[in-house]
Amino acid sequence: MNKTYILGIETSCDETSVSIIENGDTEIATIISTQITTHANYGGVVPEIASRMHIENITIVIEECLKQANMTMDDIEAIAVTQGPGLIGSLLIGVTAATTLAYIYNKPLVPVHHIAGHIYANNLVSKMQFPLIALVVSGGHTELIYMKENYSFKKIGGTLDDAVGECYDKVARVINVPYPGGPLVDKLAHIGSDTYNLPLPLDDNTYNFSFSGIKSAVINLAHNEEQRGNTIRKEDLCCSFQNRVVEILTKKTMKALKEYNVNNLIIAGGVSANSGIRDKFTTICAHDGINLTIPNIKYCTDNAAMIGAAGYYAYKLGIRSGYDLKAKATMNLY
Amino acid sequence: MKFLFIDTSSLYLTIAIIDDNKIVFNHKEQVEKDMSSKIIPIIDNGFKECSFSIKDINKIFVVNGPGSFTGVRIGVTVAKTIAWALKIDLIPLSSLEFIASTASDKKYLVPMIDARRGNVFAGIYDQELNNILPDVLISYEQLSKKIDESYQQISYHLDNSINPDGDILKVINKHLSDKSVNPHSLKPNYLKLTEAEEKLNDQRNN
Repeated sequence: MNKTYILGIETSCDETSVSIIENGDTEIATIISTQITTHANYGGVVPEIASRMHIENITIVIEECLKQANMTMDDIEAIAVTQGPGLIGSLLIGVTAATTLAYIYNKPLVPVHHIAGHIYANNLVSKMQFPLIALVVSGGHTELIYMKENYSFKKIGGTLDDAVGECYDKVARVINVPYPGGPLVDKLAHIGSDTYNLPLPLDDNTYNFSFSGIKSAVINLAHNEEQRGNTIRKEDLCCSFQNRVVEILTKKTMKALKEYNVNNLIIAGGVSANSGIRDKFTTICAHDGINLTIPNIKYCTDNAAMIGAAGYYAYKLGIRSGYDLKAKATMNLY
Repeated sequence: MKFLFIDTSSLYLTIAIIDDNKIVFNHKEQVEKDMSSKIIPIIDNGFKECSFSIKDINKIFVVNGPGSFTGVRIGVTVAKTIAWALKIDLIPLSSLEFIASTASDKKYLVPMIDARRGNVFAGIYDQELNNILPDVLISYEQLSKKIDESYQQISYHLDNSINPDGDILKVINKHLSDKSVNPHSLKPNYLKLTEAEEKLNDQRNN
């Protein structure tokens, strides 16, 4: 089989990343330059600072990636780049650099949806089997997607308000856990007990999610305890919160697998690094005989390896952009 | 010598290709949005009209600010990526100096870009583009104390369509022997911290 190398570029938020992927499933090299310690000073990602850091890093990261792969641009068949969704100023750096490279080296330019990328991070773990259900959980997304075959995405449900990662960050803020709060809430949850009575989020017959209710419940609970002069047991609150979130995610996902008669589940997005989610899905899927894939922790958060993997299938399907590629802050996958 | 000139620091996208001290391609267009999706097609088109390719270019001159943050980043990203890929010289230029290259009969020129709240990005240049006051973010009130009627003020607002009408050849020739910068280290000259950084500095100083 011929080897096809895709150069992936990802700059949609606060990571400048470039990767070279072989045949959509094998990682040759990946460089991720994260800005997380800078943004931690501000309690969250500052878009203008992110853009400024991307432009300082972009050519360095491209060069480092080629060096690590021991390749030149001549070895690259096509350039894949995250077109959106994301922070527009950040996306623009990756899209502009990718377009320039495509022009200079006369390579095909392949636009990739950020969430398609997260899904294809799983293809780097093991070749995705179809049909499958993908649960996408991140700071901006909570979605259930049905994939009949490669690069076919059908949304069957999603959040009606906050994304699950967003909800984690807000809960972290309420209990004074520093940014990025999600991973710390997960850690605290592990040493706590499920003692607080929190509502199960949107427990209905649809595949939709809603996390604003449980978020308000946590805020009210923290507020009431403070009024009464009680100290919140942070680890117990984290545990109770995480258990409810994991419960609704597993409940709706397993229902989707059953109703769509699908045997393959993949989990994607930054929140797939959450150990509560990983552990619970691993247990349930083992029990139910579902073939589960979760990306390696390194590829749960934003990275270009996933863009190179998704980009390979997009490229094979003939998805191309001219040099007039526009970055998009919001865009649909479906 | 063959040069590529890029200016995306205002609402205008300016691309010029220079061969043997002559402008052989010059494109100036007001771009309200999606500057990034227009720049490579225009450069591509420019070289199609010339008898040589972008690979024959000896130096890239790019305006790296001050000006529209997003706009400047687009031109700088294109310039540093080309310079890195083709290993060619890269020379940053000041947007204010480019404005100051406009013809005038006054001894000094004071290019300014509105920076809001009574502030301007400004510099002072003489007719030969020697820099008298380095580019700075300054209140207009302070700036006006430094200048008199022998100074020609030229002001621009980023959010309207006034067309910076600099002399590309004059600016390029002034910087012909400038040392090339490493593409990796080229960044925009914003002359201004982000609001978040300013706030954080204020908090730390109080």
